[in-house]
Amino acid sequence: MAQPLVQTIHRDPALFYWILLPITVVMILTGVLRHYATVLLQSTPKKQPLPKIRENRSLMQGVNLRTNANHISSTSFQARKSYLVSGFKSGAFLADPEARGKPPANPMSDPAMMEGMMSMMKGNVAMMVPQTLIMGWINAFFSGYVIMKLPFPLTPQFKAMLQSGVGTRDLDVRWVSSLSWYFLTLFGLQPVYNLILGNDNSANQVAAQMAQMNPGAAMGPNNDPDKLFLSEAENLEVIEHDYILNGIEERLLASLG
Amino acid sequence: MSVDLISPPPNLTKEETLYLSQQAPHILQPSIAATLPWPLSVLFGNETQDTWGTYENVYLACLRTGDDKSARLLLDRLVARFGESNERVMAFKGMWAESKAETEQDCIKVLDEYKAELEKEPTNFPVQKRRIALLKSMGRIPEAITQLVEFLNSSPTDGEAWSELAELYVSQSDFERAIFCLEEIILILPHAWNVHARLAEVTFLYGQSIFSSNPGEAIRAMAESMRRYCRSIELCDNYLRGYYGLKLVTKRLLEVLPSAPKSASNTTDSAFSDLPLPSVQIVERLNEKSTERLANIVRRNAAAERGWDGYDRAEVIAARELLNREEKHVER
Repeated sequence: MAQPLVQTIHRDPALFYWILLPITVVMILTGVLRHYATVLLQSTPKKQPLPKIRENRSLMQGVNLRTNANHISSTSFQARKSYLVSGFKSGAFLADPEARGKPPANPMSDPAMMEGMMSMMKGNVAMMVPQTLIMGWINAFFSGYVIMKLPFPLTPQFKAMLQSGVGTRDLDVRWVSSLSWYFLTLFGLQPVYNLILGNDNSANQVAAQMAQMNPGAAMGPNNDPDKLFLSEAENLEVIEHDYILNGIEERLLASLG
Repeated sequence: MSVDLISPPPNLTKEETLYLSQQAPHILQPSIAATLPWPLSVLFGNETQDTWGTYENVYLACLRTGDDKSARLLLDRLVARFGESNERVMAFKGMWAESKAETEQDCIKVLDEYKAELEKEPTNFPVQKRRIALLKSMGRIPEAITQLVEFLNSSPTDGEAWSELAELYVSQSDFERAIFCLEEIILILPHAWNVHARLAEVTFLYGQSIFSSNPGEAIRAMAESMRRYCRSIELCDNYLRGYYGLKLVTKRLLEVLPSAPKSASNTTDSAFSDLPLPSVQIVERLNEKSTERLANIVRRNAAAERGWDGYDRAEVIAARELLNREEKHVER
């Protein structure tokens, strides 16, 4: 019985000190740097004008009334409902009553929107530049090195992931190339950042890119306030009122024993 | 005494405030980090999110106890950290000016400053609230009410402002409007038992005030008040204020319910719920239960039992007083 052949590659220990460690340290430091760059680049959120605040909070009032209607008496509820529904329908709470029924303005023409786009661009730049630089750095200096051996066996499918930049067909999957180590740290350092920077850090670019995938979700709510008001008015109209004080005496007496 | 420096309870007693303000020298001690040159001071500074909450609370306590020197230092630090144009800092600076104002003229000057500020920036809510508070403390209640109504028009989800408005209306004996404001708070915070109890109190007051002119509606108001108290107790076991009120209102209901006029059971044009009037037996049982519970609370509080010592001293004394009065009544 022949033992399965174990590949041995004699590596210079300097590979560890001069490639593996530097890549790891540089990756962690870039993450930290990126976090602080994002914090610095963030512009303070712009203040909303008073009518806009009123619009948002009136809508919130409608939502509150809908969710907590059962806690006030039916007379009070009916009075509030008719006030809010008529206000919602006539557009009395809108920040900009003239814009009713018009299609939403082009985001490019709105300075407030432009500002939002600008901040997003800044974030993007803070993400992309270091990534490109480090990738180039590793490619230029360390490509083609095999720098470590994983202590556990893996199936051949991992070859593409662990040995990018090393085009050797027969090399055991357990050997990891420097470029692959870069990718592993790129995706796997989030817990380390959490440890260093706290939970809501912006060091990891993968997470940031995920968030950018659907910018529509962030912009959705301010689509058309008029439509939101109308749908809220409809919700209010169909609500069934069931007063919570109905039968409270019996409930309380039963619970008191 | 345990007073949380970061978020002290809204109604501090005098002793607690004094304790807080005495923390000021300790907090004002310059940390070593602040003396270091620039990059090091940032690296070694131990500013947390709680730091400034502590500063604000101690500042307010110092203003209350008249420790102006510490207050000024704390305010200066807040200004240095957040800048002159920060809304909260502006409100705090206003409070400093208010505390320094001695005559009516000074107050009016501060008011004018607030007004100028608000014309520049109408969304400055902290300053707007300060202006209303100053109007209130100057005794110009109608003006304060007008301002508050205007404020609530643009920010109708502000529970703090609604409760302030309710208290102002109560002080003007305008109970119907106060009830409306309290209901608005309940829509925002449906499980706030203290607001439920307050609403019950105001409803009861309203019922008392209209009893001579419209006894039917008054009885309906009292029934509603009783149910509100039940709800506040349901939300918070052993709630002293709830039981106290429940006892008062059931006692009053027992007096008036048997002789209730026909109009009391007319549910169509009542300002209160369309629930039927409670039966006398139920009211009686509620009265007994509330007496029992109230006595229980007072007894265990007097014995300083564990878990029963958190009650407000004045409230416990009032409850004991109420119970004693009842007992004498029975003896006679």
